[in-house]
Amino acid sequence: MSKKLINIPLGSQHISLLEPIKFKFACENEKIIEVDSDVGFVHRGVEKACASKFKFDAVPYVVARICGLCAITHSLSYTMAVESLLEGEVSLKAKYLRMLLVELDRIHSHMLCLSHVAENAGFEALFMRIMGDREYIMDLQEKISGNRIQFDYVCIGGVNKDLSKNIEADIKDILQLMRSKIENYIEEFSTNWSLSLKFKGIGAISLEEAYRFNAIGPLARAIGIKSDVRLESNLLPYNDVGFEVQTMDNGDIHSRNILRLNEILNSITMCENIIDGIPQGDIQVKLKGKPNGEALVRLEAPRGELMYYIKGHGKPILDRVRIKTPTFSCIPAFMEIFKGENYADAPAILASFDPCMSCTAK
Amino acid sequence: MKKIKSSLKDIVNDIEEFYIEDKHHFLTLNGLMIDKDVIEIQWIFCEYGKQNSESVFYIETTLSNTIPSITHILPSAIISQRELVDMFGLNVENSTKGLYLDEDSLTAPLGCEI
Repeated sequence: MSKKLINIPLGSQHISLLEPIKFKFACENEKIIEVDSDVGFVHRGVEKACASKFKFDAVPYVVARICGLCAITHSLSYTMAVESLLEGEVSLKAKYLRMLLVELDRIHSHMLCLSHVAENAGFEALFMRIMGDREYIMDLQEKISGNRIQFDYVCIGGVNKDLSKNIEADIKDILQLMRSKIENYIEEFSTNWSLSLKFKGIGAISLEEAYRFNAIGPLARAIGIKSDVRLESNLLPYNDVGFEVQTMDNGDIHSRNILRLNEILNSITMCENIIDGIPQGDIQVKLKGKPNGEALVRLEAPRGELMYYIKGHGKPILDRVRIKTPTFSCIPAFMEIFKGENYADAPAILASFDPCMSCTAK
Repeated sequence: MKKIKSSLKDIVNDIEEFYIEDKHHFLTLNGLMIDKDVIEIQWIFCEYGKQNSESVFYIETTLSNTIPSITHILPSAIISQRELVDMFGLNVENSTKGLYLDEDSLTAPLGCEI
């Protein structure tokens, strides 16, 4: 006798969600059998606005508003796409400063995800501690750029603000402090009994599924796929600052947590090397011309691969700005992972994906 | 990026011949209005772990034509196909409206002048 399926929604408003997304689960008892999703609750027409209302040199400040967490990767991807169609070369110093902010952004974004995952396991104290420690990085971002989030640090031709010696010293002090805190978190996420019970073997994706559903970013790396745009692009000098691709083997929530913690440690190393090795030079150069032609740039955002495609014809307003965000690519993989899991684990699994709906719906 | 021209008739075969599951990954579908009624559709791929490996298959077609689906090759393409339906008002095989835009939203915002 076939069992009756019960439809249970998760979202669009739900206690475990930071942003609006809706999953419709068809469950047999507690087990999820089928999944459907709705992601378009916060569509703002950014692509249309960028190719109709704003001149190309204003667009970096528009796309920085797509997402509070990874504003720098949006403005930087767009900026690098435009720069590839203009005359002139951005200085190495500006590239180093851009990398510094991208990696600081990755640290605090991963920490937000980890705190949220801890909260979903009912570990409120760990949630509060990680959020508290994340403030150190937010403060650094404010010192460097003037804003805690959605900072307009990148401009076409370079960056808007130089680093003072005092800020460089602050960055090194805080990174040293963060390293010891992150090492403690690795220990805690690896050995804490209740976190292990909640996360090990839960929400796993197999290697075959990851390839089949085009998983990217931490989701793919947690099952061993070396998919990282920092490896696949030479637009920023990542090879010079100690970048190493991090991977794990099991593809479950626990692997994604540890992978993110390891990536934070690697980002801390890179930031320290950037501070020690910032070359002399201008922070901004004037690039000539208007974008004429098409360009495609990819960058590794905290959640995975971010892609910007632009096309211009020598006029101030572009013909097309196409934005492909990491969460958008991963939604089919998310839906596959839910199948066969218990409904009660769905919020924790979703939190471990670190979905960003403002990016996805844009 | 490497651009490869195809046609409405051949695009699925071209992608099927090109795509190797554990070598390539599919980035997205992109639409680009060329004229009032003519659109360029792009299927964008790149290789895992390889630098500057973006390959773009593209066709030019009219808005009234039905775009073939590639979900039998790449199940994850469904989300990009549904976005194309909502944003450009195109007909794409196996892809329904309503992923991004609500019923009372503007229809096909990227396929028209606002």
